[in-house]
Amino acid sequence: MNGLEIKDLAVDYGNFKLDVTLNVPRGCVTGLVGRNGAGKSTLIKAIMRQEEASGSILYNGIPFFGNETEVLRKIACVFDSPHFSSAIKPKRLLKIMKGMYPAFDEERYHVLMQKFGLPEEKAVRTFSTGMKRKFGLILALCQKPDILLLDEPTSGVDPYDRGVVIDLIQEFMLDEDHTVLFSTHITEDLDKIADYLVFLQDGKILLSEEKETLCESYRLVQVPELSEEMKEQAVGVQKSMFGYTFLTKQKEVSGENVLVKTPTVEEIFVHLLGEERI
Amino acid sequence: MHIQLSLQSGPLYEQIEYQIRAQIFSGELKAGEALPSIRTLARELKIGVITAKRAYDDLIAEGFLYAVQGKGIFVSEKREDDLVNRKTERLKEQLRAAKRFAAECGVPPEQFAQILQEIMEEKDERS
Repeated sequence: MNGLEIKDLAVDYGNFKLDVTLNVPRGCVTGLVGRNGAGKSTLIKAIMRQEEASGSILYNGIPFFGNETEVLRKIACVFDSPHFSSAIKPKRLLKIMKGMYPAFDEERYHVLMQKFGLPEEKAVRTFSTGMKRKFGLILALCQKPDILLLDEPTSGVDPYDRGVVIDLIQEFMLDEDHTVLFSTHITEDLDKIADYLVFLQDGKILLSEEKETLCESYRLVQVPELSEEMKEQAVGVQKSMFGYTFLTKQKEVSGENVLVKTPTVEEIFVHLLGEERI
Repeated sequence: MHIQLSLQSGPLYEQIEYQIRAQIFSGELKAGEALPSIRTLARELKIGVITAKRAYDDLIAEGFLYAVQGKGIFVSEKREDDLVNRKTERLKEQLRAAKRFAAECGVPPEQFAQILQEIMEEKDERS
């Protein structure tokens, strides 16, 4: 069962085209990675129906058209920049949210606001980046969604608050009917909590795979000299003063002074999405 | 049950499996004892649900744990001799890996045996 079934979703900006077919499994955390401008935010906005797009999306099996209210109540998003006026105070925003989402969990809202030391009487504008992210996440969680989308939830957030954000995501995932899709550049977060990874490049899905299967399907190799045989199998070769680093799908790489290890998400990102530097 | 994970020490599920096995061998985890659910384990260890599931699935396949639908995951009842057999099997696996590694490093079998002997004669710092 999929939390999201995205088919031929297309957005056309003229100079940029997004074209995505993708399943996001229910009960799992899926990490969306790609370089700046790859289309991550556009994809998230299109899923949230805040971007005009063709194609179809099923939300927990339910199509959007004909079920607009139901779908929009079961899906929540934390955008990278808050989409509410920054002069507004949380107290006022709470009233708006309660009007928009009848199921809004006000009790939990107050508990979380207090827990994370967020003032309800101060304009959101005065919040630090970390505070804004946490506030956005609290608002999203208290809508009691089944599907949670997060656009860069941990960027610009200090390590402690990042831990807090990750905790909240994992708490949300205690319910196996919940689905999370989050985009991030902080691949360390994905190393830990992501179940699936989606790599987006130039508006297209480069690959979509279970994280551990993906990491284990590659070897990260460091060699002083690049042989012809290695070159054929090497992906994303990067040269430095001391030798070459690359990814390969070969199970066995041997030779003098060869260092082989299982790559992290960051290493796969760099070698798969970066330009070769030879 | 206690588990410590490091992103630098190989696949996370293997680290979990290893530590749970060790605690079953040591008797710290007793037969019939309930373990946290997959999702609780994932949250507490800050890992993915699939990683947690894989660790439990492997241990269930190996017979260390068993799952009761709707109730949870428990430590298996194991006969003493069976446990000894398993320990020996695990030990052999580890030694075979060491043997392969020795071959990779170009250490001849006699020297490997000698190294093993030397290790056995080392004073165990932990005891």
